[in-house]
Amino acid sequence: MADLIQLLTNGLALGSVYALAAIGFVIVYSATGVVNFAAGQFVMLGTFAGVATLVNAGWPLPVGYAGALALMALFGLLFYAVVYLPLSKSPVVTIIIGTVAIGITLQNAALLTFGSWPFRLVSPVEGMMLEVAGAVIPLHAVAVVVATALLIGLLWLLLNRTALGIAMRAVAQDARTARLMGLRVNALLAFTWVLAALLAGIAGLMLGPMWFADVNMGDPIALKAFAATIIGGFGSLPGAIAGGLFVGLAEVLGASYVSSAYKDLIAFGAMILFLLVRPQGVFGERIQDRG
Amino acid sequence: MRSVLVLAALLLAGLALSFVVSEYTLRLLNMAVIAAVAVVGLNFAFGYAGLISLGHSAFVGLGAYGLAILTTKAGWSPWLAAIPAVAGTGLAAAALGYPLLRLKGHYLALATLGLNVSFGIVAANWIELTGGTNGIAQIPGLTLAGHRIEGERTFLWFGLAVLAVLGLAALAIHASRLGRAMMAVRDDETAAAMTGIDVTGVSVAAFVLSALYAAVAGCLFAVHVHFVSPDDFNVAHAITFLSMLIVGGEGSVAGAIVGAALLTFLPEWLRVLGEGYLAFFGLMMLAILVFLPTGIVGLARRWRRPVRPAASAPGGARPGVQP
Repeated sequence: MADLIQLLTNGLALGSVYALAAIGFVIVYSATGVVNFAAGQFVMLGTFAGVATLVNAGWPLPVGYAGALALMALFGLLFYAVVYLPLSKSPVVTIIIGTVAIGITLQNAALLTFGSWPFRLVSPVEGMMLEVAGAVIPLHAVAVVVATALLIGLLWLLLNRTALGIAMRAVAQDARTARLMGLRVNALLAFTWVLAALLAGIAGLMLGPMWFADVNMGDPIALKAFAATIIGGFGSLPGAIAGGLFVGLAEVLGASYVSSAYKDLIAFGAMILFLLVRPQGVFGERIQDRG
Repeated sequence: MRSVLVLAALLLAGLALSFVVSEYTLRLLNMAVIAAVAVVGLNFAFGYAGLISLGHSAFVGLGAYGLAILTTKAGWSPWLAAIPAVAGTGLAAAALGYPLLRLKGHYLALATLGLNVSFGIVAANWIELTGGTNGIAQIPGLTLAGHRIEGERTFLWFGLAVLAVLGLAALAIHASRLGRAMMAVRDDETAAAMTGIDVTGVSVAAFVLSALYAAVAGCLFAVHVHFVSPDDFNVAHAITFLSMLIVGGEGSVAGAIVGAALLTFLPEWLRVLGEGYLAFFGLMMLAILVFLPTGIVGLARRWRRPVRPAASAPGGARPGVQP
């Protein structure tokens, strides 16, 4: 029982990170139609933004976090200008390969900047443990789950209760009409990229203390976020959350109850199964433009 | 006819090079030829039928592992082992294709990506069969009429011959009813279905053809390097194959070969960049996608017929799904 509680907490914490990565991916997809294959590198950059401010520059925690997120916001803006704008009128296939290509560049740039040696990013609650029903749980895992829940709540408020969020959704639904209504579509699209980069940055900062910060961490995260998105339903925010938690739990529980070598096959197997049987995912989205 | 001449010119250039270049360059040329076989195959799926596959190197891997296992564990001759290796890969592609190819665009990209990752996980962990991450070593080389196809130069001649046969076959398919059906499916699925084309059947045919070529490339790889491991067939390689096709110009056999050769040699030419090569590579791909969407072949075509928009040139249209 104690083991199970421990595994569930770790799985939910990892799942929260995947969920945030998937949300960033989905927000961009719904607003811009871009399937961002560099999404995993966004998370990696988030972790390394933390490495840059907290480890290399040695800033104190709150300042370091703020600095890292500011870097990520800047990165989102840059990505919008350098990658999204030139590609925005291209067919889906071109955009997919374009973001794959830029993901390679980002990973390599991180390698050149930080080297291949992994870093350790400390948590604000480093080393603290909680004891629940005989199970010892790292406080960081609990904090990650709580912080993710809070973030999702804030995101919901932003998208549903503020003029900015409603304008973003209007652009996502129909950019041309939104423009005719006088919305500043380009600024809103840029903000969408910034938001996605910030979410990925937070995911990266939370992941840092759970894994070692390694420049190659982007690809595995991207694959899990994709699997989460497909399982939950492409384009659906609740789907991204449910999918992320499922993939995280499947990874942690699968590693200890099924096989640690094949743990990742559970998530990918589920993803392929969903693609075959129910491509709209659990939270079925409109699917008329599946291509 | 012109495509046949271009193909012949490319192959003859390879043959001429085989007499003048160093042993090291010969090895790179061999790598380029093997990649070219795989990319000419990918051209069926991506260039003609517009199916975006991020799982191509899994099929290369299936062919390579098939041959490696049959030669080292069962003691078959590589010639004999290549037949079930290639045929089995084709069957696997057909079995996967029927359910998967109902998907389009990024759904198909993600599904094939998942397949390639899954292939890597199985290859790395099914140790009894695949040797795990240590791979399979000591794969025997080929012998032809008592002569061993060994040494980089001899292998290059053999590789060019294989590429010639497969390239000609690809051109024949391009000009055939099946090839035109694939391109019709790529350009407009609904319209293609309206004219009586079996969209799923044609897509699966393109997918299977691409897998067969991939498996041949895998077999060539296995008998050339004499060693296979999961890392040789990971997603990065699948992305490289796709990049080769895009750089060269999709929808064109010559483009596939040019792209494969160029991206095999590019890291060597850009050695000055050292570890920064990949950063440059990604930016270069992005620039090609934005400024040169029809690749090198498209550029040559535009230069020859500047009046005609590149999009209406045969095979020049980017296989996009209409929004």
